[in-house]
Amino acid sequence: MKAIRWFVIVAVMTALSASLLAGCGSGQKQGAGGKVEITFAGWGSTPEETKLLDQVLADFEQSHPNIKVKHEVIADQYMDVIKTRLIGGKGPDVFYLDAIEAPGLIETGVLEPLNHYVTPDFDMNDFEKPMIQAFQKNGNIYGFPKGYSTLALLYNKKMLKEAGVEVPTTWDELRAASRKLTKGTKVYGFGQNPELARTFFIAQSLGGQVVKNGRANFTTPEVLNALQPYVDQHLIDKTAAQPSDVGAGWTGEMLGQGKAAMVLEGNWAIPFLKSTFPNIDFGTAEVPTIHGKKGTMAFTVGYVMNAASTKKQASWELISYLTGKQGMKTWTSKRFELPTRKSVAKELGYDKDPILGPLVAGAPYATVWSEGSTLPTIFNNFNNQFVSAYIGERPLKEALQEAQDQANGEIGFQLYD
Amino acid sequence: MNRGVSKRAFKEAAQGYLFLLPTLFVLLFFIIGPIFYAIYLAFHKVQLLGVSSSEFTGMRNFTRIMVDNRAHIAIWNTVKYVIIVVPIQTILSMVMAAVLNAGLKGQKIFRVIYFLPTLTSSAVLTLIFMWMFNQSGLINELLSAVGLPIYNWLGDPRVALNAIMGMNIWSTAPFFMVIYLAALQDIPSSLYEAAELDGANAFQKFWNITMPSLRPVTSFVVIMGLIGTFQLFDQSYIFSAGSGGPNNSTLTVVLLIYQYAFKNLGTMGYAAALAMTLAVIILLATLIQRRFSKEESLN
Repeated sequence: MKAIRWFVIVAVMTALSASLLAGCGSGQKQGAGGKVEITFAGWGSTPEETKLLDQVLADFEQSHPNIKVKHEVIADQYMDVIKTRLIGGKGPDVFYLDAIEAPGLIETGVLEPLNHYVTPDFDMNDFEKPMIQAFQKNGNIYGFPKGYSTLALLYNKKMLKEAGVEVPTTWDELRAASRKLTKGTKVYGFGQNPELARTFFIAQSLGGQVVKNGRANFTTPEVLNALQPYVDQHLIDKTAAQPSDVGAGWTGEMLGQGKAAMVLEGNWAIPFLKSTFPNIDFGTAEVPTIHGKKGTMAFTVGYVMNAASTKKQASWELISYLTGKQGMKTWTSKRFELPTRKSVAKELGYDKDPILGPLVAGAPYATVWSEGSTLPTIFNNFNNQFVSAYIGERPLKEALQEAQDQANGEIGFQLYD
Repeated sequence: MNRGVSKRAFKEAAQGYLFLLPTLFVLLFFIIGPIFYAIYLAFHKVQLLGVSSSEFTGMRNFTRIMVDNRAHIAIWNTVKYVIIVVPIQTILSMVMAAVLNAGLKGQKIFRVIYFLPTLTSSAVLTLIFMWMFNQSGLINELLSAVGLPIYNWLGDPRVALNAIMGMNIWSTAPFFMVIYLAALQDIPSSLYEAAELDGANAFQKFWNITMPSLRPVTSFVVIMGLIGTFQLFDQSYIFSAGSGGPNNSTLTVVLLIYQYAFKNLGTMGYAAALAMTLAVIILLATLIQRRFSKEESLN
């Protein structure tokens, strides 16, 4: 009797521990019916955008009957999740990668170089050069951009008309126009984003380099003199403000709420304004020239392949379809992103579109937001200190000196420890 | 006979351990294991992603904390936050509990209302408060209505941390209030009756009976408060969009650990060293607190 009781207890405990262990490692699923199943991860976006992506993926599965795509949406903390999964060996086969994160990941070797997959009919030269360079290193290409957006000047047509100002084409005109458009602290002429992702091209407009040999280089006179007018417009002119000054979340919202007459925003702001603030009549123009030169930022996201993937050929099929002429045409047809292929942009007529035209025009001269593997450290410190200069807490030079010292200290520790 | 008893004792113990086995297993693999792994990481320079590498660096990660300006700011911000938040939330929860225990009309309804903030998820709470702390938000409207100066709560480094403090006190005080409430109901009413006969007023009763009887609970509340506040992360993360800005004013130790562990590549070891330092700081704070409360209970 006693022996039986003991036996039962031991059996139950073993079963419990075993089920616990089994829970730790779930096996890879084999695709049904001889199909290859590949996982494809991205972040969540608006419902319309997700619907469009599902459409593109369905098209792909139809033309590639032997491949099944398992689409995973990582809603929050995308890069943290991806990095953790890659470390744990459970990374997706194909995933989104923002250009700013690309150099760091390329360095660690988790991305598959795609050179020997590319065939001549994929037509690599069709891509906008700056966008594709973000995913290249030492002659290898690690990803293809799915689309991009540049910054353009978005302005409230009615406000400009009432104030009697033309759409500014130079930065001086923008400052002068802002004076006429500002009404106390309720309406500002220009909505600003005091952060490096938006001011990188301004900082380099006098020929200075913000990042030099992977190190922060904020305090050269060229960079300081280029950024000073941006801060002055807020502190001295009082004709520009950041979103939190007027209770908005971002500059697109500032424009929509009528709290700023002009902002520099990307393509993503256009569907937002149309759906959330349908009454705002806005126009777009190329970013005003600074010191006689054209400049803007470009943001791009690419599809990359996990080097540890066991289904590389199928993964490549997916990437090449999504960034190929057909797939990209479908994906960019709803205007959520601009096509990185010149032929697709031409076919869709975006370069002549009154709203999108200025954004497309910026692509050839845009500065891509990606600059080596140390950029995250550099921009974190820049943003942190630039704001303190922006709100007038300390002089720009002092703030950026501290940011530079801190960033370079961290980078030195990171690289040569 | 003697042998039989010891055998039975052994059997009973074995049975007990057998039942504990699943829990012990979980503890070992998911709590104790990671702790040792973190200690290992703190003494190494590791690269986990891709071609993983690890290199023994001795005390390098710890000596780096000595010269890392942002680490100093983070520790100072966190300590400042703890010193202000813990006493306020402890006193506030005690007073709230005493008021609720005084036999007001509609006590139960008030108890529910007071407890509600605790049930909200801190991320949602932060978003609501960010909206309230807005330049043209509720808080500034109220301040300007009574003629006080208004602030850019989210963008101004001088007040950004205060905004988080206020929010956290508001959301955690009710939780401790419930604990105090339970303790208050354990105080025998005969003590109060005796004091009343001696002519004590309400304040004297609170000071001489309620406060001393609550000492063990206060000790618990303070320790839990210390541990909770030292680990401030989500509010400052959401407030500053992860940067700890403006001008490092909302940078906390856990936020810095997060930045080094996930945002920068190859600094996982340093993040582990920071985490160990934080653990030591919390341990010291707890020991100091215990020392104080022991000395008090001696009189």
